[in-house]
Amino acid sequence: MTAAAVEATQPEAAVATPSLARRTLSVFARNKLALLGAVLLVGLIAFCFLGPLIHHTDQVHTDLSQANLAPGSAGHPLGTTDLGYDMLGRLMYGGQTSLEVGLAAGLLATLFGTVYGAVAGYFGGWVDAAMMRITDAALAIPALFLLVVVAAIITPSKPVLILIIASVAWLSPARLIRGEALALRSRDYIHAMRLMGGGGSRAVFQHIVPNAIGTVIVNATFQIADAILYVAYLSFLGLSIPPPAADWGSMLSSGITYTQVGYWWLIFPPGIAIVLVVAAFNFIGDGLRDAFDVRLQKN
Amino acid sequence: MTRFLIKRVGQAVIVLFLVSIIVFVLLHLLPGGPARAILGPTATPDSIAHFNHQQGYDRSLPVQYVQYLGRLLTGDLGESYKLNQSVTSLIGERLPKTLVLTGLAIVLAAILAIPLGIIQAVRRGKAADYVLTGAAFLAYATPVFFLGLILILVFSQQLQIFPAEAPQADTIGGILSELPALVLPVVTMALGIIAAFSRYMRSAVLDNLSEEYVRTARAKGQSEARIMARHVLRNALIPLATLLGLYLPTLISGALVVESMFNYPGMGLLFWNSAQGSDFPVLLGVTLVVGVATVIGSLITDIAYAVLDPRIRSVS
Amino acid sequence: MTDKLLTIEDLHVEIASRARTVHALDGVDLDLAPGEALGIVGESGCGKTMTALSVLGLLPNGGRITGGRVLFDGTDLAAAAQPVLRDVRGNTIGMVFQDPLTSLNPTMTIGAQVAEPLVLHTGATKAEAWRKAEETLRLVGMPQPGERMKNYPHQLSGGMRQRVAIAMALVCEPKLLIADEPTTALDVTTQHQILELIDELRDRLGMAMILVTHDLGVIAKRVDKVAVMYAGKVAERAGVRPLFAAPRHRYTQALFAALPERAADESQPLATIPGLPPSLVVRPTGCRFAPRCAFATDECRAAEPELTDALDPGEGGGEHAFACFHPVDPETDPVAEVVPPAPEAAPVRTDESLLTLREVAKEYPLNSGPFARRKGAAAVSAVAGVSLTVKRGETFGIVGESGCGKSTLGRMVVGLEAPTGGEIRFEGQDITALGRKELRAHRREVQLMFQDSYASMDPRSRVGAILREPLVIQGIGDRAAQDARIAELLDEVGLPRGAVDRYPHEFSGGQRQRLGLARALALSPALVVADEPVSALDVSVQAQILNLMRDLQRDKGLTYLFISHDLAVVRYLADTVGVMYLGKLVETGPAEAVFGTPLHPYTRGLLDTVNEPDPTAEPTGTPLGGETPSAAAPPSGCRFRTRCPIAQDICATTEPPPAEPTAAGHRVACHFPLVPAGPGAAGA
Repeated sequence: MTAAAVEATQPEAAVATPSLARRTLSVFARNKLALLGAVLLVGLIAFCFLGPLIHHTDQVHTDLSQANLAPGSAGHPLGTTDLGYDMLGRLMYGGQTSLEVGLAAGLLATLFGTVYGAVAGYFGGWVDAAMMRITDAALAIPALFLLVVVAAIITPSKPVLILIIASVAWLSPARLIRGEALALRSRDYIHAMRLMGGGGSRAVFQHIVPNAIGTVIVNATFQIADAILYVAYLSFLGLSIPPPAADWGSMLSSGITYTQVGYWWLIFPPGIAIVLVVAAFNFIGDGLRDAFDVRLQKN
Repeated sequence: MTRFLIKRVGQAVIVLFLVSIIVFVLLHLLPGGPARAILGPTATPDSIAHFNHQQGYDRSLPVQYVQYLGRLLTGDLGESYKLNQSVTSLIGERLPKTLVLTGLAIVLAAILAIPLGIIQAVRRGKAADYVLTGAAFLAYATPVFFLGLILILVFSQQLQIFPAEAPQADTIGGILSELPALVLPVVTMALGIIAAFSRYMRSAVLDNLSEEYVRTARAKGQSEARIMARHVLRNALIPLATLLGLYLPTLISGALVVESMFNYPGMGLLFWNSAQGSDFPVLLGVTLVVGVATVIGSLITDIAYAVLDPRIRSVS
Repeated sequence: MTDKLLTIEDLHVEIASRARTVHALDGVDLDLAPGEALGIVGESGCGKTMTALSVLGLLPNGGRITGGRVLFDGTDLAAAAQPVLRDVRGNTIGMVFQDPLTSLNPTMTIGAQVAEPLVLHTGATKAEAWRKAEETLRLVGMPQPGERMKNYPHQLSGGMRQRVAIAMALVCEPKLLIADEPTTALDVTTQHQILELIDELRDRLGMAMILVTHDLGVIAKRVDKVAVMYAGKVAERAGVRPLFAAPRHRYTQALFAALPERAADESQPLATIPGLPPSLVVRPTGCRFAPRCAFATDECRAAEPELTDALDPGEGGGEHAFACFHPVDPETDPVAEVVPPAPEAAPVRTDESLLTLREVAKEYPLNSGPFARRKGAAAVSAVAGVSLTVKRGETFGIVGESGCGKSTLGRMVVGLEAPTGGEIRFEGQDITALGRKELRAHRREVQLMFQDSYASMDPRSRVGAILREPLVIQGIGDRAAQDARIAELLDEVGLPRGAVDRYPHEFSGGQRQRLGLARALALSPALVVADEPVSALDVSVQAQILNLMRDLQRDKGLTYLFISHDLAVVRYLADTVGVMYLGKLVETGPAEAVFGTPLHPYTRGLLDTVNEPDPTAEPTGTPLGGETPSAAAPPSGCRFRTRCPIAQDICATTEPPPAEPTAAGHRVACHFPLVPAGPGAAGA
């Protein structure tokens, strides 16, 4: 070997590097805020879905004799609502709706938005221009207004609510992924692959998708957070799934009537629950964004 | 610049058309279609059929759309079911009030968010940065109505400093004369914007501080304070115009919630009341106006950006 | 030492990031008399820029001076408080940075930026400052300075921006100018103009200067003395002539030997410096250069040599200090000795033509993006009718300044872009007319080596997958055969086989170029188009890559289309050369003919502009003035006429046809080629 080859003989060159997935995970784990988010989320999910197994309550039949009990009453650690539902149980029950609808709508929106954006970005040209003007127009009408109009026309059930929210929420991931696809398409490694004779499907599935997946996952967490907020807003405006179903937003909404008389337990538990879950998803998203950034993984 | 303007305005016009199509489609999604929207929920099937024929609603959709567009251009948005007034005049009364509320919120947000963002950037990694970052995350995660509720509980019911109801005056002057009553709605609306803008300012200032032109300014002997004021701030603020444009829909959504919470007689409250009462002409009219306002608003912010940034301005 | 303007004593600087602390400077000693010019040279990461920045206290985030003194005019700037430093900055010490675009504020007018130091330091009124700024801009050769002051940086060319940066540094008439790689981001001809300007201003204003650069050619004729830095220390310090004539430190010696300009014979490989500089996270023991030094002994590895003063045996008897236990003995140790032995066989060149370009053109429409247009033209003519022939087994070098169309030409040859006119024939076949299947097969024959190999590799793929990809796409071999081929490729480019499990970002710049070359060779192509493959590398690593390319060409009978702005590199590597200017091939022919007796005034000007790494070289000819016009509105007739010293009326009206006035194969497109008049007469 010539002297030229010595440059390559770095001492650490013999050790294989851990996979990207594992390093992504370890960067994420080092981010305290992201870990806090993950713990919060797991806790909230356990509370909503496993909690009712321990704390049995009736969330279907009203019991006006038990209405508006203060926290600490016998069998009602968080008191009762104006219709006599146990507050703690209702918080779990309502949380199920909020989480289910938020998760499903957020994921659905991300899925559809990603495909739409990838198609626009990959084809470019006038296809892209036409598809993007459509999203521009839909984005111009504030999401909440669209949601309210649609919810006013149709009385939503859980699946309908998911569809309604997803039909509005897909716009921002579409725009984001389209930008990402456009940028990735002109990277030098795509050029290099084309020069080897590789075609479009290889470009998309071997290079563009794996490199865009981080952006998609990060965006999905933000979309879920937004979808949970949308559910809350719709319920607050009285346009969500009708009673006896409940979610955190509608619980808050019905609690407002009693702020004058100081029934704080009707407002704060669902309000804080919304804040916690939305913050948790945002923390996770932020942590994932850092973790997917290859540049941060150098050491 | 001229070509940029032409292109950008052209885009806005296309988007406006598409917005009108979206609202048109929503109109046809209504139970009973536009006839019921105009004749009201009590109309009989016969009268609906008659109306449809008379108004051309039995013709093909493209023809109907052209007619719809023609009515829009003459300012005809239909009649309210409930309020016995044309939608156009209803919106004409309410829109300025919403603009006042949103305008005040934006001004308040800018006044607070810009220095907050700068403080965070300058004190990056210190306690102030962490506290403000945490607060911004919290503010972002808090729904506007929950925030409003907390503010009402604390400042109206406990401390009794500000009233829980917004000014009810008919005129803008009247509204502005009741400043204490404006405080809670404006603050509620502004808090989310403050969180978003201060986050932006933090990262923009940090980005600019690591630019080489800042090093050049230091090499000239400029003090850190004047580097911030003369060099960094201008470069960080210009893109804020675009951010404001992107943020408009969120802002208007916020107005919807805040107006209905504080009973502020703007377009948001009108919209909410119409949603409760299934007053579809008003609902769709407001939706259209809000869409048009957003398109025009982001057009203005884009042009403002181009005018403020010499790199775009001077491209002939 | 009272006569010194600046004295740096035992300067230590640390740069702390979250994960680690780098000892960037570890005991640097330098001094400078009033009016004197000092050059600081070294490869990237050696601490030369840190030295310059610490004088003004402008270290990057996390950086701080941990020891030593920086005495300027009697004040220790290393210990000075911010107000004291601010009073010096831009006032008595001016600084010019590398990139004139990013170092100017994009949203502030030129005038305001140049006037800023005056307002700060002299208490001048705005009007006074504005007047003085205009005067200074005129001084730095800015045409119509009054008009330009209302412009923003992006409206000026790179060269003009650097003039603005110089004006900013000089507007308060400092005693010391620090220039950190002031010409690295500029084209050759602009580089020359800026260096001349700095020289002239220094004479006129009588100021001292520190010129920091990686380019030995830049300092050769511009400074009085030189400090060579390596791994955060000064390795050698001497007057410029003694240093260039007889370097003593083994590192300096190796640095010179790696220069393509200094290659004794173009058929010989370049001397290289193996390995990489130390990372400086831990302080190395012993001589910092020892791990890469061919002359290192146990003594070098155990103890650190001190920078010792010794009188130079050569001219002047000035100071010549070096830190080396086994210095070069100028009497018995000529530089050429570090050059490795000659290769066994000469490269295989043939007369068979492999690639033929006929009237190839590429135009880009201007209205594609909202901001990407200039006025008055419908298209940018990037390549305008280029014809050339590349023979199998040769290296065809294409040189030219940025924007001349050389990269576009390369991208058309590999098929990344389609020409808008003319034809490209590879082995007689027109590649623009190939069908999908034929094109796929053709891909095996022509491969591209990118300038930035890192960007050309998927950051999420391991090296093994990156090298396997071309084999998978072309369906070559089963997995085991592919593994064997990958191992073979890594051997060929001198990388360990364990590299397959690593990611591209874990490799150094030179290693990435090796990877890029390995991938280009995976399909055993006949032609490799190399687009600036060494321009981002330090000179010692550049030599490694150039040698490797030569070795592989010899072993595999490769043909290279080698695109570069660096005349020395092309001259060293190429058999045939084409010179491009504004989309046109102005001259082509055998390398020795084109570089030895250039026929086109542009080639002549380029050669006269090059900064030879030789302080004793006599200035020759007339370097090129002016700037390249926009390709959106190229001049009529001969595109070079606007900068040509011998242009006449016909040049504006008629495009010069290619001709071969001296020898077959040496073609030039010029109405008045510089044909040597006869044996007695000198060239033009």
